[in-house]
Formats: sequence, structure tokens, C-alpha cells
Amino acid sequence: MRRQALAVVFFGAAAAAPLVVRDAYFLDSLILILMWGATSAAWNLAGGYAGQVSLGHSAFFGIGAYAAALLATRYDQSPWLGMLVGAVVATLAGLVIGYLSNRLKGPYFALATIAFSQVLLILASRWRAFTSGSEGIPVPFRPGFATLGFTSKTAWVYLTWALAMALFLAERYLEVSRTGYRLAGVREDEDAAEALGIPTRRLKVAAIALSAALTSVCGTLWAQYVGFVDPFYVFSVDLSVKFSLSAIIGGLGTAMGPFVGSLLITTLETYLRATFSGIHGSLVGIYLVIYGALLIVLVRFLPQGFVGWLAERARGHRHARA
Amino acid sequence: MLALDRVTKRFGGLTAVKDVSLTATPAEIVGIIGPNGAGKTTLFNVISGFLVPDAGRVLLDGRDVTGMPAHRISILGLTRTFQLVKPFGHLSVLDNIMIGALTRLGSVAAARDEARRVATLCGMDAFGETAANTLPIGLRKRLEVARALATRPRLLLLDEVMSGLNPAELSEMLALLGRLHADGIGLIVIEHIMAAMMRLAERIVVLHHGEQIAQGRPEEIARDPKVIDAYLGEEFVLADA
Repeated sequence: MRRQALAVVFFGAAAAAPLVVRDAYFLDSLILILMWGATSAAWNLAGGYAGQVSLGHSAFFGIGAYAAALLATRYDQSPWLGMLVGAVVATLAGLVIGYLSNRLKGPYFALATIAFSQVLLILASRWRAFTSGSEGIPVPFRPGFATLGFTSKTAWVYLTWALAMALFLAERYLEVSRTGYRLAGVREDEDAAEALGIPTRRLKVAAIALSAALTSVCGTLWAQYVGFVDPFYVFSVDLSVKFSLSAIIGGLGTAMGPFVGSLLITTLETYLRATFSGIHGSLVGIYLVIYGALLIVLVRFLPQGFVGWLAERARGHRHARA
Repeated sequence: MLALDRVTKRFGGLTAVKDVSLTATPAEIVGIIGPNGAGKTTLFNVISGFLVPDAGRVLLDGRDVTGMPAHRISILGLTRTFQLVKPFGHLSVLDNIMIGALTRLGSVAAARDEARRVATLCGMDAFGETAANTLPIGLRKRLEVARALATRPRLLLLDEVMSGLNPAELSEMLALLGRLHADGIGLIVIEHIMAAMMRLAERIVVLHHGEQIAQGRPEEIARDPKVIDAYLGEEFVLADA
């Protein structure tokens, strides 16, 4: 019940905010919270539900961003088509990474995913003839729904809200579905799951491929929103860490976790950056130190994440009453 | 139903299982005994599809399942448990069992009902909502059996599900295995506790250094000089006499 209440408050407040607040800075923060929450939710399918912690998901995010940007600039196509193409390419890449997950466990898998995203970074930043190399690609702004061009922040709030909501509901459904339970078995103990008749390899690969496709969709939307694709940003390890951290802090393998995590991290990051950097500049970078220290404290004292902690408390109450 | 045909498994220079042939049907309880390192668990790993043998075949209902992935062997009706129990630690006991039940059942609601039924059968209904990693070892062993049972196997491979149990838990486990046998589920049991094994098994296979050195009824095995020499020791025979 608590988890539902959290979701109602979060998505309700996000939907109502643009009706009340007109401040562009606030709406931009809200869009980023929803966007990073959705991306983290996409990551959560592989890293949380299937237990395959990837630190290279920026690879799929970048694929989505580049697919739309390249199709728009080079072939004059709609970003919706770019979104589809990105998702297909990311699915294929996800199958490769998924295959790796059957060979490499835990930290070795995570390292392999980092390497994969860095290979794509090198490809995107060096292949000047096709990707414009390290200069990046300005995404052309063409107004209209068909070309995903909105000047209104409110439109972007609702677009990212719809994406975030769809991912939340899908994961909520997954949790109580046959596949979700079986995936939980794979996450908890692969050998035991296999012994009980669960096709563990196939399930893991499917979860990673789907996670990749959805991450790519987020990448396309992000590129359209920001209007510029920089290879050193979209393929960065920082970004991969951001996706995983939001889910870990919010609660791995919970539907609401990535959004709570994104709310905490995005707000904290924005606030600290605004407070401790700027023109005076004597404390430039200190925000990273504070940010890092807070993350350590959170992970140390809430290892199961915020939503996981709430769920545990709710279970405790139920037992106390019973 | 299950037939091993001259199965051999090597790890580098070590032959863990050598030329072992045996059969088991749902009508019987087969015991596998032998000293530590005799190859009992390796044999289970080969039968259940976790290891591919270097030579020999595993037949299930006459069908060659050698090298088939473990999950498919379980779907065919042969499910194993693990000596070092592998509970889905963060999940409740009922969810653990339900995940086993979902192998046969398409609906979560039906699997939950089935899990409740299996939990009752295994005397675990009081622990349905308990997280598996907070259970004491005796109950973890029982959960291991319950979860495997929920896949509705025709043949269950039980790897030391009785070791570490206190006397009360041991007799409950023996009673449970007896009920499963009465229901027509075949059992292949690895166990060190000879007293339990003598009561339970209808046929005992003795492994030593990966080789099958004896096979027969429990009374015969207890008197077999090779078995006494390799595993049981003189004291067992004297105590039994």
C-alpha cells in the first residue's frame, strides 16, 4: 500500500506541477527527473529485476540519441522512426551483451558493459564522415508532434511523464506476473532457478535486450529535448553510473525505486551544483565531493534502497500486527 | 525411467565419476552413499544437466538427455536439490515454492494455491511469509525439497537433505519422503546418515573414488566387505550386529 501511495503522490504531483508552476527552471528539473527516472527504470529491468548489473547502459542511450539525430540530419526522417531504429539496434546490441552475461558474472559482466559503451564512444567520436565525430550533432528543431519538436516545457513534462508512467506500470505488472517471479528466481540464484525448470539464460538475455531497447527510446527523447548529441556525454560512464545509482538508491528491482532515486539524485545534483559552483568559483567541484559522500552514506545505511526499506518496514508492521 | 549408461566425468586429471551405470524408477527409493569425494554430487550434476559427462549417456524415458540444459531436464520430470542449499534468499517461503510451481502452471494464482498445498504437505505453512534467508538450516533443507516438489517431478534427486537436521526434524523429513514415495515419486537420495539410509532406501548404490563398488538391498550393502572397507568401517558392522 505504501508503495502505491508513493507512486500516486509522485506521478500525481508531477502531472499537476505544470498547471501550477510556470518557472522554466523548475519545469526543466521536473523533465530531467522524469527522464532520468524512466532511463533508470529501463536499466532496472536488467540490473534490478534480472540482477545483471550493467555499467554500460549509456551505450544503448547513445544508440537511441544517435539513431534519431543521424536519421534526422542525414536522411531527413522523423525522430519517431529514429526511435524505432534506435530501439532495434539497441535490442541487437542488448542480445550481444545478454550473451556475455551468460559467460561473465557480477563485476566481470559490469566491466564488459563499460568496455562496450567505450567502444561505441570511440566509434562515434572518430567516425567523422558519418557521425561528425567529437563535434557531436545538433538535432534540428522542427516544430510539431510528428517531428517531436516542442517549445513548451509543459509538453515535455507530459511526454516524459507518459514514458515514465508506462515504464512504472510495466514493471509493476512484471512484479506480479509469472515471468517476473521467475526472473526473481534467476536474480536470487541462477542455479536453483535452472534446476526448477526456468530457462535462466533465455530470460536474462530477454530482460537485457528489452532493457536496452527502452534505454534507447529514452536516449532518443533526451536528444530531441536537449537538441544536441555529444558523444562524450551520451556514451559516458558517468551517465551509466547515474542510471544504475538512481535505481540502487531508490530500490533495486522495485517499480518505484528508479523514480525515487532519480528525484533524490537529480535534485541533489542540481542543488549542489547551483550552490557550490558558479562565477566565484573557489569551490568549483566541491559539489561532487558532497554528492559522493552523501551517496556513500545512503548506500551504507539503506543498502536495499529507499523503496526497499519502506517495503521492509511495511512487512515488519504486518508481522507485528499478526 | 532414468538410466545411466557408463557415465564418466573428469576434471582435469581427476576422474570424479567413472563408468557408472544405474537405473531408477518412480516406484523406488535409491540411495547413493560413499565417502566424501566419491563423486556423488558430481553424479547428480551430470544427471540433472549441470555438467556434461565426458563419456556415457543419461537416458530419461529412453530418451537421450545427455548435455541437455538443466531446466529442460526439470521440465521432463527430473528435479534436483542442492547439498549447499540455494534458497531465493530475499523472497518469502511461499514465493520460493511458487516459483517452482510456475514451471508447470501458467497462472500466478494457481501457482500460489499449489505453493500453499506443497507448503502444507512439507509442514511449512507456518513460515509462508518468512524470508527464506532467515530460516534455520533444518527448514532451509525442507524448503529445498518443497520447492523442487512444486515442479511436480516424477523423480526427485535429493542431495543430503537430511544432514544437519536434529532428530525431530530428521524423522519429519523421513516421514515426508515416505509420503512422496507413496505418491509415486521416485527418489534418488545422497546421504551420509546410514541409519536413515537403511530405513529409507530400497536399493543402495555405493560409490568410491568415482566408481560403483556395490549395489543392492540395504542389508546386503551393510554386510558387503568392500563397502565396509571403503566406507562403513568395522564399527558400523559391530554396532549394527
